[in-house]
Amino acid sequence: MAKIDLDKMLEKIKDTQWSLSDVDWDAPGAELITPEQWPKLKAFMADLMWIEHVGARAFAAMAKKAPDDTLRQIYTYFHAEEQRHANAEMALMKRWGMLEDGELPEPNNNLRLVIEWLDRFADDQPVYVLGTVVPMLEIALDGALCKFLLDTVDDPVCHQAFELINGDEARHLGVGFSVMEMQGHGKTYIELIRMTAQLMDPRLILGIASYFPLLNKMRDNIVEMGLPEEKLYEAMRKFEKIGGRTGDGRRNPWFQIIKHHGRFVVDRKKRFYHAPIDALVKVADVIPRKAFPEVPSWVKEITYQPTA
Amino acid sequence: MKKNQPLAQQQSPADALIIGAGFAGLGTAIRLQQQGIRNITILERSDDVGGTWRDNQYPGAACDIPSNLYSFSFAQNPNWSRSFSGSREILEYIHHLVNHFNLRQYIRFNQNVSNLAWDQDKGLWQATTTNGDVFSGRTAVMAQGPLSNPGWPGIAGLDEFKGKKIHSAAWDHDYDLKGKRIAVIGTGASAIQIVPELAKCAGKLTVFQRTPPWIMPRPDFTTPDWNKTLFRKAPVSQTAVRKALYLAHESMALAVIWNSPLTRFAERLGRWHLRKQVPDRWLRRQLTPDYRLGCKRILVSNDYYPALQKPNTKLITWPIDRISENGIRTVEGIEHQFDCIVFATGFEVSNAGTPFPITGIGGRSLNEEWKRGAQAYKSINVSGYPNLFFTFGPNSGPGHNSALVYMESQMDYIVRSIRTIQSLKLKALDVRQSSQDDHNREIQSRLAKTNWNSGCQSWYLTEDGFNATMYPGFATQYAKQMSKLELKDYRLLAAEAESETV
Repeated sequence: MAKIDLDKMLEKIKDTQWSLSDVDWDAPGAELITPEQWPKLKAFMADLMWIEHVGARAFAAMAKKAPDDTLRQIYTYFHAEEQRHANAEMALMKRWGMLEDGELPEPNNNLRLVIEWLDRFADDQPVYVLGTVVPMLEIALDGALCKFLLDTVDDPVCHQAFELINGDEARHLGVGFSVMEMQGHGKTYIELIRMTAQLMDPRLILGIASYFPLLNKMRDNIVEMGLPEEKLYEAMRKFEKIGGRTGDGRRNPWFQIIKHHGRFVVDRKKRFYHAPIDALVKVADVIPRKAFPEVPSWVKEITYQPTA
Repeated sequence: MKKNQPLAQQQSPADALIIGAGFAGLGTAIRLQQQGIRNITILERSDDVGGTWRDNQYPGAACDIPSNLYSFSFAQNPNWSRSFSGSREILEYIHHLVNHFNLRQYIRFNQNVSNLAWDQDKGLWQATTTNGDVFSGRTAVMAQGPLSNPGWPGIAGLDEFKGKKIHSAAWDHDYDLKGKRIAVIGTGASAIQIVPELAKCAGKLTVFQRTPPWIMPRPDFTTPDWNKTLFRKAPVSQTAVRKALYLAHESMALAVIWNSPLTRFAERLGRWHLRKQVPDRWLRRQLTPDYRLGCKRILVSNDYYPALQKPNTKLITWPIDRISENGIRTVEGIEHQFDCIVFATGFEVSNAGTPFPITGIGGRSLNEEWKRGAQAYKSINVSGYPNLFFTFGPNSGPGHNSALVYMESQMDYIVRSIRTIQSLKLKALDVRQSSQDDHNREIQSRLAKTNWNSGCQSWYLTEDGFNATMYPGFATQYAKQMSKLELKDYRLLAAEAESETV
């Protein structure tokens, strides 16, 4: 059963709002970014910001499919909050001189594929699929990346911003795992049948084809930035631990799939998995930019300016 | 006759004490007058007639029912300039009614009723106004309008905003909007009319949407002169057009009120309209309703979607966190700053309570009785409140046809009842509780099958989801319901005797 009262959670979400203007983006501390850190950090922040932004789009899709009004409202808030995180991260990039006026960082090709997929197919996906993938992405990527950032960057404004962001993320994960448990509650068999049918859906296969390489790509990025990949795996194991803490959670077939997939990701020895996925990452890297269609207009909604 | 009347005049009870000089109040007075009942008092809180159409004069204000149907059948106007008239022209029509039927003599302006109480001994309704004046009537008609008080949203920080605040239902025409940074909160019937007008003059216009409405194309056109001449010279032709419009709207009930294949068809029409006008996929997604058509009010507009895509206009669908000193903070963390916020947030709906205290037999309070949702007999009488009539009372709202069609049925019912009270020399005509309960049981079971009760949140429903607003059926069914005064459903108290006569 759900461990949290979603109505109370919605109230809490409404009561704990913050905005970009709550942070003084011009406060001293930007100079603490070292010249060695700067270029790596720029690439890192751009990825992080885009992950938040695609997470936002996933929540928008979930809001459309939510089984009740409370959850619909919660996901609507989460959609906006993920956007807020992307905005705040862009504000940090601007503070650190990584963005020209009005500049939007370029998403890497794997993210570009995910954006394309979300834009075209996310609204048609059953809430169960995104409801399981999103907590995994949040806990693994968001969690690991944020931790790394706070370990390596001394700028107090960065710490202040991420304290606010992490407060939101804790609620997102709380709701995420709770919903996974709700979905696992007493209907495994029916869900399994339904899920098998869903897995045959080519739109979902395309989604998998963009999600799997994204994880490997992020792993590569993390390694490149000097973060031990073990930290990412630790975070991913957390998904297994929290998601599987109750019988209901474990009975959610989507949890089982994502969990097993997570085990593959964290084990480089599983060559049968990593060889083709790494190949996909390489393929994605060489897709020319102009091969992608124009970015959907929701992508342009992000801003580093606290006021409009 | 602007201010207080001489006391003697106030003390002589009217045959009908009407509260409100809008369409319903004035229409009832006309119908009473036509039946020879002229001892009428109309209490009007403002200094002019017109009700809704006096108050709602925001830029672009218009009716979304064709004028030939949104007018009284007994006072048709051959001169409507458009198929869907603007609010100013409707107000002119109301002024015409007042002059033509010489109604001004009945109206006491600037009399805002604050209390209405039944005096059982005298058999009179006593209305006290905020001036301290008291007016009495052997019968009373609530024609204050179901949507007459501006509704402000429950957004935190509403009072903190230092710029200009305007409510759509109380427009400030002295405020110059040109070049200003303007926010519009709400995307209901008023908003979709205001936005295209503001987009023409604002420096920056931002529209804050919580739920997208279903919007249909609006078949609006200027009435050609030959048409006006025809209607003037052969009124029967206008009656025929009115009948055709009535039947066309009646057929819409099949799509609007109940979930039918026609509902799907209307939804497809709405989506086609959106696709035709909005090329961007994401904006279209933001504007696509995710509830069944008919659950909330259906809107008509040809210029709302294009206005949203003008370079100076932007649609925001992020939830609003709060209003601040300089603007509106939304949950994506941005403070949107404005010179002026327009609240197109509708009205206070009295579907759970009364607009002022109404006290019936033995001191019973209607506000208390209606706390969990208003209930009445045939929308017009409430047991325990004799000789009191409601226009647009509980479960009388139309979703698909002209409100004035429903209003005419109510007015005729009121006239019939008052004539009965007079001819039978009754002190009190009080509907039986059992008849009221039977009526409501039936209405609620019929409502359960309608689109309004299909799960979305709307002003039709109380907080508990009780539908005290809409009538679940065709206008023709409603007219039939109102066509007969069933005396067996009432307790009749003779003027001379204290015992029940029936």
